[in-house]
Amino acid sequence: MTGPLYLYEVISFTTSLFVAIGIGFLFGFVLERAGFGDSRNLTSIFYFRDMRVLRVMFSALVTAMLGLVILNRFGLFDYALLLEYSLLQTYFWPQLVGGVLFGLGFLVGGYCPGTAIVGVASGKIDSLVFLIGMVFGIDIFAFGMPIWGSFYKSSDMGRITLWQYFGTSMETMALIITFAALGAFVLAWVAEKWAPYDK
Amino acid sequence: MSKPDYAEGYWNPFVAGIALGLVLLLTFFIMGTGLGASGAVARTAAAITHAIDPQAVEQNQYFSSFYKPGSSGVFVDWIVFEVIGAFFGGLVAVLTARRFKLSVGKGKSFPASRRLVLAFLGGIVGGIGTRFAMGCTSGQALSGGATMVVGSWVFMMTVFATAFVAAYFVRKEWE
Repeated sequence: MTGPLYLYEVISFTTSLFVAIGIGFLFGFVLERAGFGDSRNLTSIFYFRDMRVLRVMFSALVTAMLGLVILNRFGLFDYALLLEYSLLQTYFWPQLVGGVLFGLGFLVGGYCPGTAIVGVASGKIDSLVFLIGMVFGIDIFAFGMPIWGSFYKSSDMGRITLWQYFGTSMETMALIITFAALGAFVLAWVAEKWAPYDK
Repeated sequence: MSKPDYAEGYWNPFVAGIALGLVLLLTFFIMGTGLGASGAVARTAAAITHAIDPQAVEQNQYFSSFYKPGSSGVFVDWIVFEVIGAFFGGLVAVLTARRFKLSVGKGKSFPASRRLVLAFLGGIVGGIGTRFAMGCTSGQALSGGATMVVGSWVFMMTVFATAFVAAYFVRKEWE
């Protein structure tokens, strides 16, 4: 059985919606158990008090990344299909501007969209208010399209990966990112020693 | 001082991260795409606005893609179902850990009302950000990051760089 199953039409659209609920359930469950239902645990990283966000994110990213590379090696996953049809497309400047706005929203608002959903499930009133704010923000974006519509789809680089951009192989890039993550874990440990909760 | 109450009782972050990574890997294996969240909020925004002014939404340059003729509804979408699942997954996790509590997450001496105003403003700015970036921490940073997408790494680095630089100015909110 080779993935991605949906792109190989092994499962139908209707089935995929049931899968979505199951996958989402696991996603939300793990986010809560990671401590991400509380804005204080999400923003502690920006003060170097608790680098849990970095640890969870990078270990998740590396796990999935290596998993896909290994499955691809053994012919159990068709990475080429992903690169051609479903990889996220890069729009350099809009994504950089989006990153600045999102970074501010994350810091000041205390959540990102996925964690806010889990925050609501945890009874956090601030997460519900954050999501209501997001609805307003998305409306502002949508009705401002006459102003920034052309920027929104500018600097289109297509479906491009880091290994293609730097002219190396998928495996080498994955290894570099893995070592970078391990380095980040060490730095995170140092940062926490330097800025404990009571400092 | 040891960790405060709100940071205690969770999984080891590496265990949680590997678990999250396996969920993400499973998602890619089955669907060929990753996890997401902001797309569901965008569709909710479209639906709410559509209830107020259907014409404005259907003719809107951004929202109109959710209302193509022949589509079976703005909520019939993978990401919407995934987010509904995430809500229930979070709910089961919080209830079984006996952690459910109506409260506002904020710094100790920061007024709750001001924290809610900032949560709202942060939501607005973050919401706009997700549309320019075409995703959020789940869809771009995590899913795009794991597939080594250039734009996702640009987004992820920018998000954290911005937040680290700006953190000083809102330190009272989280102190």
